[in-house]
Amino acid sequence: MFQYRPMPAEHEPLHASFTLEYAYTRSTGPVVGRFLTGLRDRRIEGVKTREGRVLVPPAEYDPETGEATEDFVEVGSAGVVQTWSWVAEPLPKHPLQRPFAWALIQLDGADTGFLHAVDAGDESQMSTGMRVRVRWAEETKGFITDIACFEPDSNEARA
Amino acid sequence: MSGELCGIVGIGQTPYCAQRADVSIAGLCREAALNALEDAGLEWRDVDAVVLGTAPDMFEGVMMPELYLADALGATGKPMLRVHTAGSVGGSTAIVASTLIESGIHDRVLTVTFEKQSESNAMWALSSKQPFSPHINAGAGGYFAPLIRSYIRRSGAPEHIGMLVAYKDRLNALKNPLAHLRIEDISMEKIESSPMLWDPIRYLESCPSSDGACAMVVAREALAKDAPKKPAWILGHAMRSEPTMFCGRDEVNPHAGRECAKDVFNQAGITDPLKQIDMAEIYVPFSWFEPMWLENLGFAEEGKGWEMTDEGRTALDGDLPVNCSGGVLSSNAIGASGMIRFAEAARQVRGDAGDHQVPGARTALGHAYGGGSQFFSMWVVSSEQP
Repeated sequence: MFQYRPMPAEHEPLHASFTLEYAYTRSTGPVVGRFLTGLRDRRIEGVKTREGRVLVPPAEYDPETGEATEDFVEVGSAGVVQTWSWVAEPLPKHPLQRPFAWALIQLDGADTGFLHAVDAGDESQMSTGMRVRVRWAEETKGFITDIACFEPDSNEARA
Repeated sequence: MSGELCGIVGIGQTPYCAQRADVSIAGLCREAALNALEDAGLEWRDVDAVVLGTAPDMFEGVMMPELYLADALGATGKPMLRVHTAGSVGGSTAIVASTLIESGIHDRVLTVTFEKQSESNAMWALSSKQPFSPHINAGAGGYFAPLIRSYIRRSGAPEHIGMLVAYKDRLNALKNPLAHLRIEDISMEKIESSPMLWDPIRYLESCPSSDGACAMVVAREALAKDAPKKPAWILGHAMRSEPTMFCGRDEVNPHAGRECAKDVFNQAGITDPLKQIDMAEIYVPFSWFEPMWLENLGFAEEGKGWEMTDEGRTALDGDLPVNCSGGVLSSNAIGASGMIRFAEAARQVRGDAGDHQVPGARTALGHAYGGGSQFFSMWVVSSEQP
C-alpha cells in the first residue's frame, strides 16, 4: 500500500516566476462595433430582438433564438440598480481605487442589466432600485472604459 | 467504423484572407455555418447538436470560445461540444460530429471550425518561452525545417521538390475563388527567389496566416439520402496520437500517421490506396510535407514520395491529385485547416468542387495533422452509398 513520505529538502519542487503575454486585436463586428462607436460619441445603443426586448449591451445574436440582431435603439444614460455587491477593498485593476459597488444596471429603455461599477462613496448609499447615471471618461475612444463608472443620480425629479 | 451510416449533406466556407476586419469571431463562424445550412437546404432548427473545433485559446485570446459562440451557432438549448487537437483539430472535429450520427445519438449535427489569425500572432503563440526549458524561439517553420532536412537526407530527394509542390498548389489555388493566396504570376523562379525563412523552407513554400471558417452538416443515412444535394458518404475515419518528446519517435515518418492511415483504409476497404483513392486533400503547411505524407500514408514507398511529386502525379491532372483546392499552403485558418481538407475531399466526391474538380472523383481522402507531427485525423469519403 502507498505510504506518504515527506520529500527531502534537496528535492523541493522547481519554482520560477513567468509572465505570458501577447498582443491581441479585436474585430468587433457590426453590432458590438456600433455599440463601442456610440460610446465614443457618449451615446448608449442597444438592439431590439424580434420579440421586442432591448438588449444592452447589445448581443450580435439573440440569446433566445439565435437570430441576428439588427434593430438598434438608443437608450438612456441613467437607469435603475437591479442588484449589487459592495467592494470594500478595491484591487489595483478595479475601475475605482476607492470602495465601490459592482451593480447590474437596467438603463432607461432597456430590458436587460448592464454590469458596471457604481461610485457611491459608502455602502449605506447603495440600494436595489436606486437610480444611477453614467459618468463618462474625460476622453472617449470607443472602448468600454469610455464609461468611467455610474454614480447615484442626483436629479431626483427624474425618479 | 461501425454503427449508422453518416453522410455529409452540407458544406460551407468563408473566403480565406489575411484579415476579416468586418466581422467578429462569432460573425465569421456564423457565415460558414449559414453557408453549410444553405447548401444542405436546412434551417437552424433542423440541427440537433453543434460540434466546434479551434486551435489553442491563446491564438485569439478568447478562453473557451465555444461558450461565447453558442448564440451565433444556434446552439441555445442544444448540446454543444468543443474539440481540441492542435492543427489536426479540423479533422478530429468532423470525426467527433460524425460519431454522434454513427452512434445513433443524433439525426443531424452541425460542425464548425475557425481561426481568426489576425486577432493575434499564432506563429509566436506556438513558441512561448516556458519556465525550466531553453527558449527555442523557432516558430512552426523552425520546428519542422530540421524534419524536412532529415527527409531530404534519408530519401536523397533533389532540392527542387519543395518548390515544385508550392508551384503546383499555388496554381491550384488560382482555380479556387475561396483561397487566400492567389498569386497570378506564380513561377518556379518566383518561388526560388523568395526569401529563405528556415532552410530549406522558402517564404513561398510556407502557408499564410489566414482568417476563415469552415462548416459541415452531417446526417444519418435516411436523411442524407433525402437531402436536396448529393451527399458524400463516410467510409471510414481514424485518429491517432503520440507524444511530442520521445527519443525513439520518427518525426519524419511518424508511427501514429502510418497506423492511422492503415486503420482508415482498412475501414474503407481500400487495399491499394494509389489505385483506389481518386484524390487527396493532405495537410501540407510547408511544401516538403507533400512527399513526406505521401509516404506516411502509404501512397508511395518510403523514400519514393518525392518521385510522385517530381513526375507530376500529384497535379490536378495526375493519377493522384493532391490539394486541388490549393491546400494549406494557400489558405491557413489553422483551426479550420483540417476541416477544409475533409470538406474539400467531400466536395470532390459530390462533384461540387468547381474549377478545381477532379473529373469523376468517387473516393477521396481528407487528412490533417497537428502538434509536433503527433496528432493525426483522416477520413475516406465516397460518392457511392456503401
